[in-house]
Amino acid sequence: MLIFTLRRINLLLITVLLLTLVSFSLNFLFPGDPLVNMSGRINPTPDQLLILSDQYQHNANYFIQYWTYLQHIFKGELGVSMASHLPISSEIINLLPATIELSMTALIIAMCLGIPIGFIAAISHKKITDNIILTIAMLGYSIPVFWLALLAILVFSIQLNWLPSAGQISLLYEIKHVTGIQFIDIMLSESEYKWQAFQNASSHILLPACVVALAPGALFIRLARTAMMDVLETSYIRAAKAKGLSFLQIIYRHAIRNALINVIRHVGLQFANLITLAMVTEVIFNWPGIGRWLIESIYQRDYTAIQAGLLVLSSFIFIVHILTDFIYAALNPLARDTKHGA
Amino acid sequence: MARNRIYQEEEFPSPLVQLWHNFRQNKVVMFGFGSFVFLFLLAIFSPILTPYSSIQNNLDHLLVPPAWDVNGDVSFLLGTDNLGRDMLSRLMHGASLTFGLSFVVVIISMLLGVIIGSLSALTTGIKSVFLNHFLDVILSIPSLLLAIVIVAILGTGLGNTLWAIVLVLIPQFIHITKNAVKEEFSKDYVLASRLDGAGSFRILSYSIFPNIIEKIIRQATLAQSAAILDIAALGFLGLGAPIPLPEWGAMLSNGLDLFYIAPWTVYLPGLAILFSVVATNLVGEGMRHALKQSKES
Repeated sequence: MLIFTLRRINLLLITVLLLTLVSFSLNFLFPGDPLVNMSGRINPTPDQLLILSDQYQHNANYFIQYWTYLQHIFKGELGVSMASHLPISSEIINLLPATIELSMTALIIAMCLGIPIGFIAAISHKKITDNIILTIAMLGYSIPVFWLALLAILVFSIQLNWLPSAGQISLLYEIKHVTGIQFIDIMLSESEYKWQAFQNASSHILLPACVVALAPGALFIRLARTAMMDVLETSYIRAAKAKGLSFLQIIYRHAIRNALINVIRHVGLQFANLITLAMVTEVIFNWPGIGRWLIESIYQRDYTAIQAGLLVLSSFIFIVHILTDFIYAALNPLARDTKHGA
Repeated sequence: MARNRIYQEEEFPSPLVQLWHNFRQNKVVMFGFGSFVFLFLLAIFSPILTPYSSIQNNLDHLLVPPAWDVNGDVSFLLGTDNLGRDMLSRLMHGASLTFGLSFVVVIISMLLGVIIGSLSALTTGIKSVFLNHFLDVILSIPSLLLAIVIVAILGTGLGNTLWAIVLVLIPQFIHITKNAVKEEFSKDYVLASRLDGAGSFRILSYSIFPNIIEKIIRQATLAQSAAILDIAALGFLGLGAPIPLPEWGAMLSNGLDLFYIAPWTVYLPGLAILFSVVATNLVGEGMRHALKQSKES
């Protein structure tokens, strides 16, 4: 396990290093002066420019420039936003939790619904249930997410008036920004309307989270179905059958556990997809997350924000990726010992 | 059709023909394939087939609902939008933009990806390790985010989005080609032709490509459904095709303000995107199924 951990941490470090290399070179690829792109200070006076070029070692060779850039990043200085002139690190700290909240809720919804349905489909393989589930799953991951979001708003917010269509929580509730994750903030707050605020926040998150969850959920159905079908064909299931266990006993005691492990392995890979969907959904549902901020910074040509956002979001995805690898390895001893040279 | 067997010769169909035989078995998949061909033809011939041009304004027919509605007009079968442009014509023109261009995008990135992938399969050592890590990094960035970053570098516009999506799709093709080529290289028949004195490139083109082409085609269908969704999403976000172009995503965002008055301007382009993605996915699914069958047989 130690070697496995070291390998993963090594992979993480190399990846983050490469990502910084990518975002560093973006500064030179974006239109405009690399120094301005890096620091985010637009229209600098010659004096400011001199200070900046000193700060970022702009006159030295690329290697030293990259090294100073790295130092800036590890100090948490990502420059200031060209549009709002606020430090980007503080903006990201404000916005990232909302995205984490949305994507995690969506991930939980997708897993809780997708995996059991996939198992049901696998158990009733080649029957009508299986076909219906597969058809729905196919539609689920083919729907364009922005269209689905609009339809969901039209049906559930406007025609049925069940759920709110925009924002994270009603403005009536004053929740202090502590962690940024709304539910934890509500729990921490001293307000007497805590329960109402909690209900309000959950009704706000339900619609966008379901919209984000649909496509990954549909993919989980397929993954779970394949995993379960593979497990049901193994010899230990046949042995359990020969032992005289009933079908339900086999499913509950043997098949689900082993199939679940294989599904968990793919959760990390699905996460990048889920974040993409969350970015578009945030725009439509006016969710104050990092995806909406990034897309707005493109409209405003805020290059500093784009490269910093790319760096943070991709590292976040990769960390989740590595974490699921760890969970998978912790659950499945086979992966720890035989999987070398990853 | 029954064929008379005159000679006692056994026929061994090539992997692609074999794939087609298995592919044909499933009716749903054939429906998807039919729709795919239909969209493909529509994408090519839409300028000839459409009743109106995609930018022709009919100012006395603004926001006409589809023909089955009470207020509908049969000369505008699917209604008109806020500038009196015929929805049916725009959707048909959109087929060549969203669907047709996604096809072109996939072909370009497939060619580049396969070339790079097969070259990288031949390299070993530090170069290959670096490439592996680099691919992992690129693949860990969400495709839309990567496309958005590339659009930020190149500037917005349809042409730039297409290049962005080409660049986004290439790593997937590299990955799949590389793994497939490496897998084939370890097989005995490659060793046999190597013993015959064939060079690496000869082995690649004569022995390996015919055997991995179906995997690449399968990846291409996956890539195409992703490309359609990405083109439409970028169009919707206003980063891709500009509003007057009948690109489905841009049409959708154009109808957004009139969503409640004229819902058909939003749900029709959405349905068109859904239809084309489902058709592509059905083809891919059928391909996967046929691949599995031909492996088992």
